[in-house]
Amino acid sequence: MIWLIRRFGGLVGMVAVVAFFAINLPQTFLTLQNWLNISQQVSMLAVVAATMTVVMVMGDFDLSVGSMASLSGVVVATLFLQGWPIPAAVAAALAVGLIGGLFNGIVVSIVGILPFVATLATLTIFSGLAFLISDGRTIFGRDIPAAFGDFARGGPPIGAVEDRIIVLPNLVIVAAVVVLLIWVVLEQTSYGRRLYAIGGNSEAARLAGVAVRPLRLTAFAFTGVGSALAGLMYASRVASANPTQGDGLMLTAIAAVFLGMTLTRDGQPRVLATLAGVLVLGVLDNGLTQMRVDSYVREVLVGSIILAAVGLSALGRRGIAWR
Amino acid sequence: MTLRTALAGVVSAIGLGAPALAQDVAVITPYLAQPGTQFYVDGFTARAEELGWDVNVIDTAGDVAAVISRIEDVVTQGVDAIVINVDPAQVGAGLQTAADAGIPVVGMDAGSDPLVAANVTSNGYAMAAETAVYVANRIDGEGGVVMFTFDPFPPVQVRGVIADAVFANFPDIEVIDRITPDVSDGGIADSRAQMEAILSANPEPGSIAAVWAAWDQPALGALQAIEAAGRDGEGIVITGIDANPEARAAIASGGNFEASIAQDFDGIGRTAADTVARLLGGEELVQRVIYVPTELVTSANAE
Amino acid sequence: MTQLTLHQISRRFGAVQALGDVSLTIGSGEVHALMGENGAGKSTLIRILAGLDRPDTGRIEIDGTELALGSPTAVRQAGLRFIHQELHAVRGLSIAENMHLDHPYPLRFGLVNWRALHGAAAAALARLGLERLDPSHPMTDLGPGDQMLVRIAATLIGGGDRPPWLYVMDEPTAALTNAESERLFDVIHGLVGQGAGVLYVSHRMPEVLRLSRRVTVLRDGRKVSTRPISETGQQRIIEEMTGRDVGNLFPDRRTAGSGPIVLKAEGLSARGLRSANFEVRAGQILGVAGVAGSGRGALLRAIGGGVAITSGRVSVDGTKVGSSPSRAWRQGISYVPRERRSEGLLLGRAITENVTLPHLSALTRARLFLNKRRQRRLTEEIGRSVRLKAASVSQSCAELSGGNQQKVLFARALAGNPKVLLLDEPTRGVDIGARSEIYRLIRRLSDDGLAIVMASSDLPELIGLSDRIAVMRDGRLAETLEAEGLTEAALLARFYHLEEEEGVA
Repeated sequence: MIWLIRRFGGLVGMVAVVAFFAINLPQTFLTLQNWLNISQQVSMLAVVAATMTVVMVMGDFDLSVGSMASLSGVVVATLFLQGWPIPAAVAAALAVGLIGGLFNGIVVSIVGILPFVATLATLTIFSGLAFLISDGRTIFGRDIPAAFGDFARGGPPIGAVEDRIIVLPNLVIVAAVVVLLIWVVLEQTSYGRRLYAIGGNSEAARLAGVAVRPLRLTAFAFTGVGSALAGLMYASRVASANPTQGDGLMLTAIAAVFLGMTLTRDGQPRVLATLAGVLVLGVLDNGLTQMRVDSYVREVLVGSIILAAVGLSALGRRGIAWR
Repeated sequence: MTLRTALAGVVSAIGLGAPALAQDVAVITPYLAQPGTQFYVDGFTARAEELGWDVNVIDTAGDVAAVISRIEDVVTQGVDAIVINVDPAQVGAGLQTAADAGIPVVGMDAGSDPLVAANVTSNGYAMAAETAVYVANRIDGEGGVVMFTFDPFPPVQVRGVIADAVFANFPDIEVIDRITPDVSDGGIADSRAQMEAILSANPEPGSIAAVWAAWDQPALGALQAIEAAGRDGEGIVITGIDANPEARAAIASGGNFEASIAQDFDGIGRTAADTVARLLGGEELVQRVIYVPTELVTSANAE
Repeated sequence: MTQLTLHQISRRFGAVQALGDVSLTIGSGEVHALMGENGAGKSTLIRILAGLDRPDTGRIEIDGTELALGSPTAVRQAGLRFIHQELHAVRGLSIAENMHLDHPYPLRFGLVNWRALHGAAAAALARLGLERLDPSHPMTDLGPGDQMLVRIAATLIGGGDRPPWLYVMDEPTAALTNAESERLFDVIHGLVGQGAGVLYVSHRMPEVLRLSRRVTVLRDGRKVSTRPISETGQQRIIEEMTGRDVGNLFPDRRTAGSGPIVLKAEGLSARGLRSANFEVRAGQILGVAGVAGSGRGALLRAIGGGVAITSGRVSVDGTKVGSSPSRAWRQGISYVPRERRSEGLLLGRAITENVTLPHLSALTRARLFLNKRRQRRLTEEIGRSVRLKAASVSQSCAELSGGNQQKVLFARALAGNPKVLLLDEPTRGVDIGARSEIYRLIRRLSDDGLAIVMASSDLPELIGLSDRIAVMRDGRLAETLEAEGLTEAALLARFYHLEEEEGVA
């Protein structure tokens, strides 16, 4: 019984959530447009959570992803102010993410500071830089090239419903590409399997010839670039940038990975499970908003659901240990 | 949020809520925690209750992208109207969704945008004109005036332009200085420092007739500088805009700080509700910016 | 005189007979030493005596009265006390309070009577001649030796039906300096003088010879002998501890390989290892022996790159090996670590994942994308060759027996066709059946031309498998012996650098 909860509890819970909304929102919830909305709404979170999975596979954390997202948004907007063309500004912001991620990696793997402490410190550093660069202001309006903001609103058309053209949002495509890429890296390459080995037993992995330090270092580059990309997606969606706009992504991304871990057989972080966790969070926000649940009550409910899912899974695991 | 609305939320979440027959309006803001926004929203919900509407207030706690997401969600839900309190330029994607679905969006002090049916706000031009004219009249159209402005922020920049025009129209008024204070700490401290420098540069009593500030903080800074320099007996007239609590207290005490302008936040909220009602009634709004009257605050009404 | 008698105690764990028909008598007024190699059954015996485990058969009597089995309380009431090598002092509490941890505090009006508490502690300390210790001082001010003495003194504090008369001391001197040990011996003499008995478990031969009146030797869960100290000696005790008939456990010795030199170490130094020189030819097995902490494991880790080499060099086929595990694996040095769980396996992960971990690069397409079919096939193939028993190669290693877990690590080591195989305690915690399979496997690999270095604390295994045995002392490779014809007693003597004249053949 406990085993069943552990193995399929998360899945059953997810189906129950979807079914609940489908019943309560019969007209709107299970429509293509709504699911495109949800997938677009969670696209930034999906990118951050997918890359967060890469470090969590090793048993590490990156708390700096939110402020890195803010920083990259501010960087791109500031470069627009200075008249940089879009591709160059975007590349520069991604480079900032890469550098920040590698810096995290160096601090964690070479200097040897606990990831929790190290990335808490870089969180503050990145956030400070974002304020410094933007002067604490929101950069928006004419300063942001129209094409940059339009990217998040557009996408290739995939059909029409009642003379309205339905598009597959560009942000969804970006997120899908990132998730696919991370899936390939983690599941299909020797690099990814070595990261899992580090998470399984770092000392055993080292003695078995896994170059633990360089791997840990580079893995943090994924979260750096991933969060910078998410920051760009965010900036495009709101056609503006301010030094705190990505901050909320960090906790939600970690929550999504944990939710995903309750779905996998061995309790490991896996990127497709993370994606499921991201979708659950997005569905909850979308469905509860449509059901006109107060936004603060919504937060309490979402937090409780995360607690229940992870708690049940932990209980299930302990049940195994009792045997 | 009251306990009642919270409970209503839970009840509807577990699927017991009766389907709403009344008009369904969503108010979406990232800034509910800020005092001004709370006044707007309270005014709006009070009026909406009188009209018998169902209002769903959604706070995204500073997350602007989430405002877009929630606009998309309430569009899917099929609300009758949406009210926002955020720069429309930042939530264009959401506004487009609402426009595609034919759902009207009204802004509460949100800024103008083709996708916003109407923006309800205070008239910044009028507020600046009123205080500038107050200054001109108090000094009988004659003397040196110090201006505190802030052009980087568009709503404040507008006020400066109007004051420029008013003072230019009085041949005997000379603008001694037009200062843009550093606002990183709120603007009081730097305004005070700048004012102290001007006072030193113009030592003769009567050489400065008035200080016009585009908002209250520089006015308060200037007041501190004048009092500290012991020149509060010269009759220098100070005005601000916004009538925040400190400004009101200064005005009420009857010193140099004589006037400011109070925006009617509650009125903006109520008028936004009335505007929604007009739109729902099928009215085409010709005027896309609706101004709510402001009130000049002097020692007579500062309390 | 009081006597504790164990009658034919047997205990079996799965396939392992931990104790078989062990009978033993310990009297008050004597120090009785219990000797045996690791795994001989000493710990099981002590756990049963302490009531922490029950024997499958057998009984324990005190002066003819049967002792309730599996009850620590009954054991305590019968007057037995257990002193372990680990010290559990509570920080922040005084000596007197630490002595009262398992006694009720004396009270007055419901509050702690500090005067009585300190008085009781001081009286107990005085009985052991420890007046120099102030019971009100913090326990943590004391060194480990005095802490141990305080713990012994604590047993003298009143309470219980019967005053303590038999002390069981499990390696009490393991963490003590020589001077501290001397003070302990004084206390033991004092206790025995007051009529108490001591069952003394230790690996340290000199103290056993000095303290005990009688010595009981266990081997493979059976009692070999109980003899008065006057009728035995170091040599005899070692022979009795180690004298297992190893003939059928080890595959037949064959002529030592005389292939080319594969592994060569010159002046190899690392943490815990000082300047080791040796060479191993293809087809040779070099055993590495020595007491714990002598540098046995450090030697293997230095070769395998697990610890950084501080000076000297290791070469394989004449090429210098880089000082990191990943370089060592790449250059054909594979390693089976000692701690299977903490250093070897990814326990929760599949066998495939564990076996192929060092060889992933070779199992990719375009040097990047993992070929999972080849990964599986390789694991199945190599699993068969090491006779791994598992439901499938995707089974989690956590579900395997100790022997099969060890075979997974062997499979990992062999999957890359290594030139050098490093084995650290290859049969630790492995039952006899799997053990002989592993021995045959090691011999076969050696016949196939692998250069093998095997560190072990198991003397029969070292002698039975190795061609030569390097003896480590204090981090140095002190000498290299031919294994052929070596006795365990002679080898053990080399650990302590005992001279031939001292009576070791």
